Amino acid sequence: MSSATIAPSARVPTVSGILGALLRADFTVQLRNGRALVLTLIVPLVLLYAQFAGKRAVQLGDPLFRVATAISFGIASIAILGYTATVARDREKGVFQRLRVTPAPTWTIMVSRLAVQLVSMLAMTVVVLLAAAVVEKVSLDPAGYVLTLLAVIFSSAVFLGVGQALVGLIKSTDTINAVGRLVYLPLFGLGLFAHSQIFGTTFETISRWSPAGAVSTLLGGAMRPAAWSAETWGALLASILYSLAFAGVGIRWFQWSTR
Amino acid sequence: MSATGETPTHHPALQVEDLHVSYGSKRAVDGVSIQIHEGEIFGLLGPNGAGKTSTLSAIEGLLRPDSGSIRIGDLDTGANPSAAKARMGVQLQSTSFPNDLTIREIVRLYAGLYGVPLSRADIDDLLGEIHLEEEASKRFSQLSGGQQKRVSLLIATIHNPPLVLLDEPTSGLDPQARRQLWDRIERLRDTGRSILLTTHSMEEAQAVCQRVAIIDRGKLLTVDTPAGLIEKHKDDPRVRKVARGQVTLDDVFIGLTGSEIRD
Repeated sequence: MSSATIAPSARVPTVSGILGALLRADFTVQLRNGRALVLTLIVPLVLLYAQFAGKRAVQLGDPLFRVATAISFGIASIAILGYTATVARDREKGVFQRLRVTPAPTWTIMVSRLAVQLVSMLAMTVVVLLAAAVVEKVSLDPAGYVLTLLAVIFSSAVFLGVGQALVGLIKSTDTINAVGRLVYLPLFGLGLFAHSQIFGTTFETISRWSPAGAVSTLLGGAMRPAAWSAETWGALLASILYSLAFAGVGIRWFQWSTR
Repeated sequence: MSATGETPTHHPALQVEDLHVSYGSKRAVDGVSIQIHEGEIFGLLGPNGAGKTSTLSAIEGLLRPDSGSIRIGDLDTGANPSAAKARMGVQLQSTSFPNDLTIREIVRLYAGLYGVPLSRADIDDLLGEIHLEEEASKRFSQLSGGQQKRVSLLIATIHNPPLVLLDEPTSGLDPQARRQLWDRIERLRDTGRSILLTTHSMEEAQAVCQRVAIIDRGKLLTVDTPAGLIEKHKDDPRVRKVARGQVTLDDVFIGLTGSEIRD
């Protein structure tokens, strides 16, 4: 190719071709990233098991809510620890700059990255739901499974929005990794008590409407379509608003280069 | 200052007019105009922080200029960024590719981004052309500096662009690898491409460039053939002051840009 005759005017590639190339590369990177695989699968499975072990487990909420919490935890891990780390690392190394000098529109670069994360989250959800059914004997009706996967899409937007806000507001990779860990545990820990009065009703209310709490409530509602309530609609609305707010901050201040 | 030197005989491959680029209150490029002819290797010389990379970044679409126009052939890069990027091949100063991909996968990715369908055999043939067929399954970070530069140049030209932009293409290379890369750059020129490269090396400028421009503090100071620059500035007192014997391109460069060290 390099010795071929030059075309008089190079043609602009199609968006579908560009997205196909990016998705293939991003999925390959994700599958080869051992840390991402651990975050994606092991962490939520450990939490699922932990929530069903011990005498006080029942105080964390009903079984479906505890499964929802494990999924929510997995989504948060992938988005806040995995996504931010890869974006920050590639930005610092100049991977994005190299992509930006190609005809690929910048939105395709981000859409591809986010699509890979979303698929990872859906795969993690399927694994957790399977583990819940096989190990903990917590299963859903068919509509519950479909609705849960749809709810994961909204839930992922919340945490990917948080991750995007982190990489938008902070340039240094080391700082992003440190802040990600600092944000992750309180953010998730707050949501863990969305259906528990262990720390009182005020804490429960705050927890319920926190990002992780809203996601857990939404997922818990999706698992039980017959019991979908005003509170579930509220959690859906809260998830959308959190997504818009975090993503808005993350997109507004995001820079493709650390220089 | 406008580009001078040879009268263009073809439609310019690249035309930059009155380019201004700022970072906040700091002006990095201040009214640069250059014109690169078809089939020409054009060198942009300047000390650190002179505005070389900022000029290139504006042409590449990595940063938005404050004012000025950039045309690749008959195409305005500001109005048609994707089409403009499809017409240029770029090697950045410090290139990085996803480290979890092999060289073969990286080539495939960038071929896809330029809409060039390549089979595995095509990719292996291309890697064979640059003597890297044995490295096809390695990661980019596992290659030597010279091998990395060859991969970067291959990827920059994978879509046969009429214009190739090379930002310090031979920095950090040993003499053998530098010579090999010069040969590759000249072969690109011989197949009709126009090349704009930045360099700190006067030797490189004299060896491969038809014309060179010296830029400093964001302004274009002079443009001509390497021999023409020496002839034009050999009697300049600033150049005479730094010359040790016969005036060289190095003397012209240091005379015009000053002797102080830039970071």
